[in-house]
Amino acid sequence: MNRTRIIFAAIIVVALLIVGATFLLTNRGGTPGGTALTVDRPDTVTIRILTSLPVEPWVRSAADAFNAADRSVDGVPIQVQVEAVDGLTALGRWDRDEYGALAADQRPEELTDAEREELANFPVAWIPDSRYLVELANAAYKERLGRDVFLTDGEYRARPIAISLFNWGLYNSRAEVLEQKYGDIDWNVIHDAATAAGGWPELGGEPAWGFFKLVVPNPSRNVGGLAAMIAAAGEYYDRTNISVEDVVNPEFQAWLKELMGAVTDFSSSSAYTAEDFALFGYSVGDGGQLLESDLLQNMQGILTRWEDPLALYYPKYVTWFDFPFSVWVGPETTALQKNAALEFQRFLLSDEQQQAALAYGLRPANPNIPVDATEESLFTKWADRGVLPVVPRTTAMRSPDRDTLLALLRWFELNVNQ
Amino acid sequence: MSNRTSRPATKKQNKAAPWIIAVVAVIMFGCAGIVAFNTIRNMVGFFTGGGDVPAAETVTWEADSAELTIAASPVMAPVLADLAETFNAQAQRAPDGKSLRVSVTPYDPEAMVRTAVQSPPFQAISPDSTLWLDRLEQLWAARAAEGAESEAAMPIGQRRISAQTRYAVSPIVLAAWEDVARRLGWPDQPVSWQDIQQRATQDPDFKWSHANTKHASGLLAVLAEFYAGAGLTRGLTVEAATDPATLEYVKAVEGTVRFYGENEDQVVEQLKREGRNFLDLFVAQERVVLDWNRQNPGERLIALYPAEGTLWTDHPLALLELGQGEGEPAVTKNQQRTYQAFSEFITGADAQQRLLAAGYRPADLSITLDSPDSPFANNDAVDWREPQTTLQMPSTEVVNVVRDYWYYTKRPTNVYLVVDTSGSMEGSKLTAAQSALKAFLEQIAGDRDRVGIIEFGSGLKDYSLLTVLDDGTRQQMNGMIDRMEAAGGTALIDAVYAAVATLQREDQPDAINAVVVMTDGLENESGYNLYDLQSLVRQSPSLPIVIFTIGFGNDADEETLSEMARIGGGQFRRAGEADIEELYRIISTYF
Repeated sequence: MNRTRIIFAAIIVVALLIVGATFLLTNRGGTPGGTALTVDRPDTVTIRILTSLPVEPWVRSAADAFNAADRSVDGVPIQVQVEAVDGLTALGRWDRDEYGALAADQRPEELTDAEREELANFPVAWIPDSRYLVELANAAYKERLGRDVFLTDGEYRARPIAISLFNWGLYNSRAEVLEQKYGDIDWNVIHDAATAAGGWPELGGEPAWGFFKLVVPNPSRNVGGLAAMIAAAGEYYDRTNISVEDVVNPEFQAWLKELMGAVTDFSSSSAYTAEDFALFGYSVGDGGQLLESDLLQNMQGILTRWEDPLALYYPKYVTWFDFPFSVWVGPETTALQKNAALEFQRFLLSDEQQQAALAYGLRPANPNIPVDATEESLFTKWADRGVLPVVPRTTAMRSPDRDTLLALLRWFELNVNQ
Repeated sequence: MSNRTSRPATKKQNKAAPWIIAVVAVIMFGCAGIVAFNTIRNMVGFFTGGGDVPAAETVTWEADSAELTIAASPVMAPVLADLAETFNAQAQRAPDGKSLRVSVTPYDPEAMVRTAVQSPPFQAISPDSTLWLDRLEQLWAARAAEGAESEAAMPIGQRRISAQTRYAVSPIVLAAWEDVARRLGWPDQPVSWQDIQQRATQDPDFKWSHANTKHASGLLAVLAEFYAGAGLTRGLTVEAATDPATLEYVKAVEGTVRFYGENEDQVVEQLKREGRNFLDLFVAQERVVLDWNRQNPGERLIALYPAEGTLWTDHPLALLELGQGEGEPAVTKNQQRTYQAFSEFITGADAQQRLLAAGYRPADLSITLDSPDSPFANNDAVDWREPQTTLQMPSTEVVNVVRDYWYYTKRPTNVYLVVDTSGSMEGSKLTAAQSALKAFLEQIAGDRDRVGIIEFGSGLKDYSLLTVLDDGTRQQMNGMIDRMEAAGGTALIDAVYAAVATLQREDQPDAINAVVVMTDGLENESGYNLYDLQSLVRQSPSLPIVIFTIGFGNDADEETLSEMARIGGGQFRRAGEADIEELYRIISTYF
């Protein structure tokens, strides 16, 4: 072998070594967030999923079915743990980094055993109420880590697993009086009813009913309150997108404050507004714009407890929750866990589970499933109370940006909640 | 603050025989020895870090603990404890085998909230209303704003409560005897807060009561007065609440309240003891009416649902978000499991039926209130279709203003704290009593409330006259408490007699006049007897003086204390070193 051949062979060997080393390094993680935690192949892959309250009963029931079916990923059995956490509480935990995400310069392979142990319970996925919350959590982590932790595209993107609109629910006795006086129910009618100085007698109702009482969740405790304010703003401006400028408009603020003045009690810490609405009946609220699934789930209770049924109406500008199944893409969880989460996500989106969601008053995210697909569907059960399978001629509000959301929240804190 | 220019009336000192002097000398020598021993021991303790006063403990629990401790409002605590017992008997287990167990401990709602913001010894709370959860979040947010937590980027999610559920509700009503209710217009006319307030100010024989504003029913009653005084039924603002005309109105109405108190169950106890004439009407949860009528077959109570609106007690069960402060243990995964399991249990069919039987409206909306076995069925004393409307809950700022201003509009109070510092109080007992007395003084906030202290042993040792508490006088009284020393016998009746006589001399029938007496031993030195005390109290029927008695420890003279409480129309309570401070706090709510 001459010298040229020796040099050529050496170059080939070095090139192969470089390619081999690169291949090994790039295949240690494989997740979009960077190098993932490497662990020995476990006997079972357990995934902890933070789940917002409106979908928690359905997701928990699905998880029980999933766990019982011995599903696996790469041959490893999956166990799903569902943890019910109100969306804003979870956001607060992400914001405070309470789950202990690794710092930007922290490498998983450098963790001590104790640090690895601490990450064992890190949530693998989060199902918040709305994509608003995902955006806010990403914003918090972008400041801290310089990147998103929940993706909006690609394999691990946040996917809606069910839909629920916000619509009006009014006690029938009260709704009849309002319709007789004003016609169709909308935010402007509610505003006029709310500001009637003479209360219900002025509107044509009973003196014992007192003043018109509006039910809106406290926006600092329930994302539904934020959605209601966005919907009200849409109707006030008669358009689908609102901005910070719209929120700080003094005339709009005065109108909104008058509207919020009809809420009987913002002090309740509960996130279960529709349940409260049913539990305390017309005494705390004549009507309000609430999550459709919550209203549907409480329709029977309202009828049983108060004998006055609820009438449902759909607003012109619709806001909704889409319950995005959001997989954490950072290195705190393993690729196996992430893929197990995707497996459970696929299960939730299956025809069987999407049909099961109907019994909870949730609209399927899977477009193949109509809302009257099963006998247990609450949409079928309450059709005569005004629930619509398809909501016609409505306009969907666009998701406001983070600054607009925070402006609304701050306005509420300073002007109503104080 | 000792003031001997106007010494309270006591009987002449007992003559002592020479042999008694010798015995006393021996006892005093012995006491001196004990004091010297304790002093040396405490000095040693000081230098070694020991001593009698326990250091503040950081409450903690095992990392896998499955025992959930719930702080519950005193009224609900027995019901919840009963349910917890059934739950514990189910012996549910966590995946690691730990037994899921619940324990319930009663807490006054305000103390519950105060404790919950700083490393509490419990993981969950169940106050009578979500008003207290809001108060907790407010305190927590204020604390977070001061500390490192303020670095959080968003104005949301900074919460002390991670999960909550409701298991029962009950509207707040005006509980009136049937004849009183009929005279007020029931069942044909709606009865309003204003009707009651007018009746109370116009009819001197009309007797009514509401709890202190530290309880939901008391807060509602006072809010209703502020609304009426301001001529509003919603939109109460700070300006409207603090308008002089509003305050005058509230002051006039509050002047008609017979007594306040810690909660409606205490009113019921009083009704049982005093009989029908004790009160015409009181503010309470609807379930009190059902409970009373079930247990007492005589004249019925009727629930009147105020026309302007009322409030609800809604009995939340809330899991705390612990572990946010330095060194504070977090709620364990197993405790979360216990919370979840217990939440499901108390909202389950069996527990919900038991709550219905107890007079609460169950949170389970599938349970009808007019079913045949429901206490609401065929019962016109309550109406499950009511209330039609609620009063608007003002902002937290306004609620705080109402509570603060209430102290300046309520009936003034003259209260004597009569304290036994006989030899048996030596050591930790005296220390606990001193803390309790100071806690009591902290609770007295009104500028028309006056407090005096009488310290007794074999006779009157030290005393202060009735004094309005400002910073200076509070400090002087605390100084007097610090100077208390344990020695001598127990001239209990003489000391109470002196307090009653002094209050009678003050002659303020528009005020609540009361004596709170605490002793740990047996009456053995007094010149007066209980008959003398009763005669004295009866001398001034137009100036009722309420006597609260506290038996401290196991050796207290319960018979004498119970009789004293009966004479003074008050209550006898027992306390130990662990709960004497809380008991003094509770008694302070009566003023």
